[in-house]
Amino acid sequence: MDRKVALGVCFTFGLIMFAQYFSRHPLASQVNQAVLAYWQIIFAFALVVGIVSFARNSINDIKRKKERPYRLISLAGMTAMPLLAVIWGIRADSPFMWMFENVQAPLQSTVFALLAFFVASASFRGFRAKSWPAIILLSSATIILLSRSAVGGVISEYLPAVADWIRNNPSMAARRAILIGIGLGSLTTSLRVVLGIERTWLGGGKG
Amino acid sequence: MKLEQRHWVFLGLFILITLVMLIKVRPDISVSNQTRKMYAYIDSLPSGSILLISFDHEASSLPEIRPLAQAVLSHAFEKGHRLIGMALFAEGTAIGYRMMQDVAAQYGRNPGTDFVYLGFKPQFIAAILAMGESFEQTFPEDYLGNPYRSHELLTTVSNYDDIAAMISIADGSLTTHWIEYAGSRYNLTVLGAVTAAMVTTYDPYLASGQMTCMVGGLRGAAEYESLLGIEGGGSRGMLAQTASHLYIILLVVIGNVIYFRSRRGSK
Repeated sequence: MDRKVALGVCFTFGLIMFAQYFSRHPLASQVNQAVLAYWQIIFAFALVVGIVSFARNSINDIKRKKERPYRLISLAGMTAMPLLAVIWGIRADSPFMWMFENVQAPLQSTVFALLAFFVASASFRGFRAKSWPAIILLSSATIILLSRSAVGGVISEYLPAVADWIRNNPSMAARRAILIGIGLGSLTTSLRVVLGIERTWLGGGKG
Repeated sequence: MKLEQRHWVFLGLFILITLVMLIKVRPDISVSNQTRKMYAYIDSLPSGSILLISFDHEASSLPEIRPLAQAVLSHAFEKGHRLIGMALFAEGTAIGYRMMQDVAAQYGRNPGTDFVYLGFKPQFIAAILAMGESFEQTFPEDYLGNPYRSHELLTTVSNYDDIAAMISIADGSLTTHWIEYAGSRYNLTVLGAVTAAMVTTYDPYLASGQMTCMVGGLRGAAEYESLLGIEGGGSRGMLAQTASHLYIILLVVIGNVIYFRSRRGSK
């Protein structure tokens, strides 16, 4: 019975949201607004579930002495930031913003910057011209890399044009194919969910 | 600790970038058609046009995003456009607010009349769709908690119909949602200022006309700065980017030479 109610709600709202997309009637706009407001509330609950799950896993790991320092830092961060925000707010000169700008932002930038080192190492160890497809990939990557640097136009006046051709033809063809595939996949999955064929979001099975 | 091959590669890159950053040389770069198009579009809008700027990025991509955003904001403020700032990523909120304040101050623009910062809205698809119906209902207050109607600029803005164009400053796929929901459904003109890694993702949208124009990566920022005649983070970082690209190409060549020599030796 519970499942039938959930499937019914899913089907009804799926149909309503699909239909209102094509309407400019004020009622459609009101329905859209109301559903979007509920959507935000539902996601807020999902966030609570995520926080509780993360806290439970971290505490369990701390008890088991597994990655204890990392877990403690994660928990401290997850507790401190909301507390700072609740007590002093999130305005420009608040402690929350100080933490964000001086701790979180540099940490994230550092982790992202590490990618450059891994790319350098990977290009040395893994990028081999073993076959014709690999040679084509290697040549394309070199041309694109040079074109995005300051020396591209200096090496040859044709190099930026060749790079643009690679982007606008083979690269775009592949990207379009991927996008169309994603679109069709999303459409199919959405239809399956709305029509109640796909039930894994209910925990799977029939009923 | 014994240094392995990869550690030498890391060390080489670190030393190279450090040295290059110390050299104050600004390489001359040619401006791509894509950047020219973006510049021309913002330039062609009548002064006072209202642009929506969405800071759809995280803190991790700041070295690339900041020069891009600053160049685009500088151009918009210089042209006298009025800007509404917002963020669909929580992390972009504070960064966007600071950037908008700083650039606006450089051009003597006033909050409330020349620009407003609405702040962050969670659930990007819901937020984009909701703004198509009503900005005020989506953001009853601005970032600082002032009521929506307290800003002179916002009194004339109800929804996307009152916006000349939106610029998504993004390091991920959020611009896609602006194109798919605000662009397709509400006919909003979508422009992009995106990281280099995301450029090819948006090429199909650019070619199909779903996205009007785009400026991408640190190179795009440097090109935009050269069009504006200013020196910013883009032109400052170009030499480091060029050096790191050449270093990677050199590593690929060395790696392949070693590979083919070892293969010949084994035969």
